[in-house]
Amino acid sequence: MNERVQNNNDDESVITITSVSKAFGSRVVLDNVDLGVYKTQGICICGVNGAGKSTLLRIIAGLLRPAKGSVRLCGFDVSVEPEKAKPHLGLISHKSMLYPELTISENLRFFARLYGVRNAHDRIQKLIEDVGLSPYRYDKACVLSRGMLQRLAIARAIVHNPTVLLADEPFTGLDTQASQHLINVLDKFQADGGTLVMTTHNTRLALECCDRVVVLDKGNFIFDAKTSQIDTGPFIEDYCAYARSRN
Amino acid sequence: MRRILVFSAFALLLLSTWMALTLGQIAPVKRNILYAHVPSSVCALLCFVVLLIASICYLRTGKEVWDCVGAASAEVGAVFATILNVTGMIFSRAEWNTWWTPSPRLITAAILWFLYVVYLIIRTSISQSQRRKARVCAVFGIIAFLDVPMVIISARFMPDIHRPDFSFNSPWQSAALMLSMLATVILAAALIWLKTDILKNKTRLEEETIF
Amino acid sequence: MNYFCESLWAIFIKDIVTEFRSKQVLPTMIVLGMLIVWVMRIVSESASAGNAVMGAAALWISLLFSGLLTQERSFAVEEHADCMSGLLLAPVEPETIYIAKLLVNIIMLCVFEIVVVPVVFLAFAVSVDGRWVEFITVLLLGNIGISSVGTLFSAVVGLARTRGSLLSIIVLVILMPMMIPATFALLQLFNAIPTEISGIGTLAFVGSFDAAMGYMVAFDAVFVVACWLLFGFIIKE
Repeated sequence: MNERVQNNNDDESVITITSVSKAFGSRVVLDNVDLGVYKTQGICICGVNGAGKSTLLRIIAGLLRPAKGSVRLCGFDVSVEPEKAKPHLGLISHKSMLYPELTISENLRFFARLYGVRNAHDRIQKLIEDVGLSPYRYDKACVLSRGMLQRLAIARAIVHNPTVLLADEPFTGLDTQASQHLINVLDKFQADGGTLVMTTHNTRLALECCDRVVVLDKGNFIFDAKTSQIDTGPFIEDYCAYARSRN
Repeated sequence: MRRILVFSAFALLLLSTWMALTLGQIAPVKRNILYAHVPSSVCALLCFVVLLIASICYLRTGKEVWDCVGAASAEVGAVFATILNVTGMIFSRAEWNTWWTPSPRLITAAILWFLYVVYLIIRTSISQSQRRKARVCAVFGIIAFLDVPMVIISARFMPDIHRPDFSFNSPWQSAALMLSMLATVILAAALIWLKTDILKNKTRLEEETIF
Repeated sequence: MNYFCESLWAIFIKDIVTEFRSKQVLPTMIVLGMLIVWVMRIVSESASAGNAVMGAAALWISLLFSGLLTQERSFAVEEHADCMSGLLLAPVEPETIYIAKLLVNIIMLCVFEIVVVPVVFLAFAVSVDGRWVEFITVLLLGNIGISSVGTLFSAVVGLARTRGSLLSIIVLVILMPMMIPATFALLQLFNAIPTEISGIGTLAFVGSFDAAMGYMVAFDAVFVVACWLLFGFIIKE
């Protein structure tokens, strides 16, 4: 679990993370991290609890400020020009960021307005159909199951057609069927030209959804390879052994 | 430099106290509390100005040192605001036989004290993120400063039944007052400087153990 | 400009709809307000204090304390399911969020007053002698002042260990200067300026309703602008 494969990719870099460091109090979470994510790439950041995956994602989204370093998204520095970077990005996490008292349509309409989406009505109808929530469009978000909420969260995150979708442990609390549904939606997003950055503990899902896997450990990347170059079985075994040793 | 400030402040304080109690004594004796009251009111307001400047500079530059200056001036200001209120109450009791009266000056003094204390409470209440705490305190520092002239004008709505009515009749008295004001201002500056250094070192120590 | 109006309206409507559907805070606020008024009525009876004076005091005190509830709510609603992050991810300006939430808070206080002001009139047997326009203006200026400071600092309530108590002390200390002319203005309207202070004042403010209104307008203008400009600093990490 200590291999690093350089990506000699000529594709355009959509996210460039340069020497990012972050600490909470005296606990170092990210230590001089560098990463480049290329267009239409699907990258999965794996790591044990406390490795810094969520922190890194929130730094990319501009919700947290790194102590050192910078993040460029679609050519814009997230700290310096957030208003230019934000329209290009969507974020889903294990919290839905949805308002419980509003219906599915109302939630999506709210975010469509915030992002200045044109032809919002048509876009929302299409999204609701794509995520399979048409029968529930007039139901309040508080009555939805966890799986449905997560699908709605994705619809919320991509309502403005972002270039990049950041997904922080999106499969948490989902059963097999809901997970499969989510995988389908993420695949469609990537097929439509989007770039996906995902974090998860589940290496099987990582290998299924993404074409590049990196492992974050104690604030540093210790593994970086394309899924096509990874031998699934041994990789999962290795990772489980590593995860056990870190506990 | 700091040592010179502190020593000169104490020396001037002793000199002004001696002058106040001997050559510049106001009659009756109980009124001499003014020599402590007026300088501490000047200092309390000056500390607020320092807090305002530090807050604005922190929000503009994001440098930790300004946050430390703000915190230091709030602590020192709180001390002087306490002295101001206590001496004000003692004077009020001595002069008008009542511990507190809603006169504009006393209302202003009380609200000034509260503003400092709330600032310090905000500092201790927010423990999650150093940056966030510093920003919230800086914003409060600016809003609180805007509140001070509001307080002064608003207090004029209160009927000022009692009004301090005296004037200096000897140059020694004004000299003693000027001297004690100078001494207190120098002392306040030295204390703010000291406390800022302590806070700066504390944050630097925490940062050095991280990266 | 278009985007500003669109996003302002979106956040404003979202908050109003959420509150009126969940009915979380408005009923509690109104009941608390009424309780404060009745407690003060009972206390004033035992103290044989002047009705109108206590009435004006009861109105402002109930408005202040119940107002704290609605201000706390304005950002508490964003804490659920990390909705605050959802707002911050959007390219909406923090100042827009402030104005939207300020308007919601003002409206909530207006709804509160529609219910509680008649209770004050009833409990303390006061009236405004037909000067309704002035009365509504004074209440509105009070609402704006309370909401301006409360909305700004309610964004940090979630950060503090002491939560609502921190908001209470901040709002009360900043609003203290506004309460003096505000009470004075109400006493003028209730025709209840105590004779011993009538006409006495350091700057002849006492006795002048226009000065009290002018002060409240100045207070509101200064604080709405200052809070609006500073909101961006408070909300970001």
